[in-house]
Amino acid sequence: MTTGYNNMKHKDIAIRLTNVSKKYIVHHEKPTLVEKLINRKNEEFWALKDINLEIGVGERIGVIGPNGSGKTTLLKLITGISTPTSGTVKTSGKIVSLIDLEAGFHQELTGLQNIFLNGMILGMSQNELKTKLQGIINFAGIGKFIDMPIFTYSEGMKLRLGFSIAANSNPDIIILDENLAVGDRDFVIKSGKWMDSFIGSGKVVIIASHNMDLISRICSKAILLENGSIIARGTPSKVIMKYNCLSDYPRPIRPRL
Amino acid sequence: MFNQPRHFWDLLIGMTEKELKARYKRTFFGFLWVIVNPILQMIVIGFVFRFFIKEPIQNYYLYLLVGLLVWNFFSLSLSKATSSIVNERSLIKKAKFPREVIPLSIILSNLFHLMIAFCLLIIPILITGTFSIINSPKLFVAIIMLITFTTGLSLLTSALNVRFRDINFFVQAFLIIWFYITPIVYTINVIPRSVIWIWRLNPLTSVVQLFQNSLAGAAPPGPAMVSINIFLIIVLTIVGVQVFEKESKYFDDWL
Repeated sequence: MTTGYNNMKHKDIAIRLTNVSKKYIVHHEKPTLVEKLINRKNEEFWALKDINLEIGVGERIGVIGPNGSGKTTLLKLITGISTPTSGTVKTSGKIVSLIDLEAGFHQELTGLQNIFLNGMILGMSQNELKTKLQGIINFAGIGKFIDMPIFTYSEGMKLRLGFSIAANSNPDIIILDENLAVGDRDFVIKSGKWMDSFIGSGKVVIIASHNMDLISRICSKAILLENGSIIARGTPSKVIMKYNCLSDYPRPIRPRL
Repeated sequence: MFNQPRHFWDLLIGMTEKELKARYKRTFFGFLWVIVNPILQMIVIGFVFRFFIKEPIQNYYLYLLVGLLVWNFFSLSLSKATSSIVNERSLIKKAKFPREVIPLSIILSNLFHLMIAFCLLIIPILITGTFSIINSPKLFVAIIMLITFTTGLSLLTSALNVRFRDINFFVQAFLIIWFYITPIVYTINVIPRSVIWIWRLNPLTSVVQLFQNSLAGAAPPGPAMVSINIFLIIVLTIVGVQVFEKESKYFDDWL
């Protein structure tokens, strides 16, 4: 599959997936030992099949497709959380996922201690975190709660803190889904502004979403996944149209409010 | 992004601090439990086993305490590290980072406790006069052997436990047996020659003996025992590191 990287210089490529496939072993509920010994062969499931994809610096990619088409698997492979069964994933620059922002917080530790732990998990150094600490606290708007254990935080506070750490980790590539709007109205505006400036700075955005408005508003390119293969790629409007044709039922048009 | 060893070290220290802070949150005695626990064990075992031991062991309570501190470091590290990857699945699923910091931070936090306990051990050792500076190389070798073995085995069990959760139960069960096939409450002299091979296959034999020798004035391990034990530690550590490297790429698939 040619995507025309020959006319692109190597340094302009942020992410390159070459013949990537991912196989999972299907876990059945409580397989008995006897069953396992008789049925030695494991049931396999190919979540992605021979994916070739290149994302250049400054591109914003929308990943669309029905549930179970391999969107999450693709994002996991790009982030490096998982490894492909075959093929290679090459990335350049720091990748930060904005999905499951509140994951990885330790309940017993304070907000402050969690900033350090979470920040280092995202690849920040101790010194970097020290200099950015005040910025992270201010952006999250946690205030006095910063010295309290995380289990005293509300869901919204945890999300705000998670977003603030990720946003301040200076990523080159961000990965998100449709649940970006976090926290109250003020924070939605604040995070929206951050997103706009991130997009404006010519960095890479990858969005997996069913929200077609979001995809066509933000993305410069889109890909359509079905059963683990890319079946369409190109401008968002073209790919969204293809996606709508894919379905047996006409997709209801979202009412504009 | 984790190419620099500096980053790896930062993360490891951060995770270790988390381990230490989270463990004694909202406890009254806090760090004191590090030393209270083995002392209680020492008193109980020391009292009971005196009735069974024919040949009295010199400085028996100190001998016991040294062995118990080493054993507690090993067994706490191993049992907690084995399930650590599964317990920290939310971190694994959040970002790409060197997965080995999870089990290593548990070992490092336990090592910190062991060092505190050894510092407190200075008092009884000064009273009995069983330590001299000539023993320090032996002590150093013992510490290196202990850390290497604990690390290698923990990497192996923590990686395998992701795919085969039975490993955790196996480790818990085996640790109980392991305590009795390690010369902690008795000396190696009471073991008949016909079954000494079991102790030779147990790398902790000479580790514990070296500690007891350099701190409590017990007899040193024989050269055959030390060399077989060191060989086993090296082999197991290489296997542990290799298995962890290979398995860690696919942790997410099984969590």
